[in-house]
Amino acid sequence: MPVRPRSSGWVFVNAISWRMLTHRFSFILFIMLACGLLIFGRVQPMLVEGARAHVIDSLAPILDAIARPVTVTENTIANFKSYLSLRAENEKLVAGNMQMKQWQNAVVALQNENRELHTLLNFKTEPGLAYISARVVADTGGPFVRSLIVTAGKVDGVREGMAAMTGDGLIGRVVEVGDWSSRVLLITDLNSRIPVTVAGSGDRAILAGDNSAQPKLLYLPQDAVLTPAARVTTSGHGGIFPPDLPIGAVTDNGHGSYGIVPLADLGRINYVRLVDFNLKGGAFNPLAAKIQAEAKKR
Amino acid sequence: MLDVVWQRLDSGARRSLPFVTTLVFTLLGVVAWPLPHFGPVAPPLGLIALYYWTIHRPDLFRPGMAFTIGLLSDIINFLPPGLSALLFVAAHQLVLRQRRFFAGHSFLMTWFGFVLMMSLVMTLEWLLLCLIRWQGLPFFPVFMQALLAMVFFPLPCWLLIRLQRMAFSQG
Repeated sequence: MPVRPRSSGWVFVNAISWRMLTHRFSFILFIMLACGLLIFGRVQPMLVEGARAHVIDSLAPILDAIARPVTVTENTIANFKSYLSLRAENEKLVAGNMQMKQWQNAVVALQNENRELHTLLNFKTEPGLAYISARVVADTGGPFVRSLIVTAGKVDGVREGMAAMTGDGLIGRVVEVGDWSSRVLLITDLNSRIPVTVAGSGDRAILAGDNSAQPKLLYLPQDAVLTPAARVTTSGHGGIFPPDLPIGAVTDNGHGSYGIVPLADLGRINYVRLVDFNLKGGAFNPLAAKIQAEAKKR
Repeated sequence: MLDVVWQRLDSGARRSLPFVTTLVFTLLGVVAWPLPHFGPVAPPLGLIALYYWTIHRPDLFRPGMAFTIGLLSDIINFLPPGLSALLFVAAHQLVLRQRRFFAGHSFLMTWFGFVLMMSLVMTLEWLLLCLIRWQGLPFFPVFMQALLAMVFFPLPCWLLIRLQRMAFSQG
């Protein structure tokens, strides 16, 4: 039987059949690749996290560009509504301003008194808080994860573990930091666990997210009876968050189980403040700066 | 010479339309919309685009593209990398095999096909995530997202039909 010699024709035919084979089995190839990635992600989570942060960094400007018209439209509508109620708003603000001035005087007096007492007791003071403001560009996770992507990263001083707040209260913590963007895991996420204290009773608990709008209070003392609407704040235990950051109000779920209603509206967050509690001075906190300046004058 | 370059660029842009629109839809699906509590139940726009292009231009939407979009979705959504990639490739294959059945009849049949594919993908995603994390995840948000996607489907579909007509009307 004659042996067919190898020629360029055979190479060409082989190349075509290889391409057809690849095309035919690309489905299996990609399925295997995806499974490999899933296993790799379990074995080398740190590498995956680093790569993820880099990709999010690259996507953040695009997400920002897409989100910007949405934010501008929302702001325009809000401004229009605000113009309609300008007079009533002004009256409210004047009254509020007068009240705030009274509060400011009281705060300055209390701050002075507090400092004197600290000096008398040789008390070690907590470092001040510093804030980094960031805009929310993506509300990610779908039905499985509760997280936000914000436009502040390492270059702005953001570090992993920082507390994320709105004007109303704590909303979560930074779990992933890129150079220009970060990811905030919300307190409602299934993997969120925060040591908290209930104001009034002083009971300690762990605030555990369950992907619902109202996270649960776990590991309360057995005899604990909480008052509905009692304020829940961070306890500062474990060094995760500074103490006394407001989070929410107690709600009774029945059968001795309690949850909280977050103070911040987690379904409508446009801006967040990332709190760095290791920095001294609170340089980005205008109220603290003003109080300190007035105290110095006196 | 310049004409040839422009022609090639134009052709390249048209050929990349399925991938680019699926990518843009995936990003649009995670943008912080000013609708309260919309994020957790936002329709999976990327999956809608994947379904549409797999049915209408399978020659321009390959399994590798489904894999890339899925991986990107995992990265953005803080899910284990490879999970959505796996499901998107599987969904692509499933739709590809049944495309004549889903696309050959009325729009209602296409819609029905999407509901079937999406229900399967989302249930599998929920199940796999429960297994990977070894904890019971609530199913209600998944159900709500599927319901919203089902209702929302004609709108992105209409947009994709317009885009397809604009880009490929001359063949």
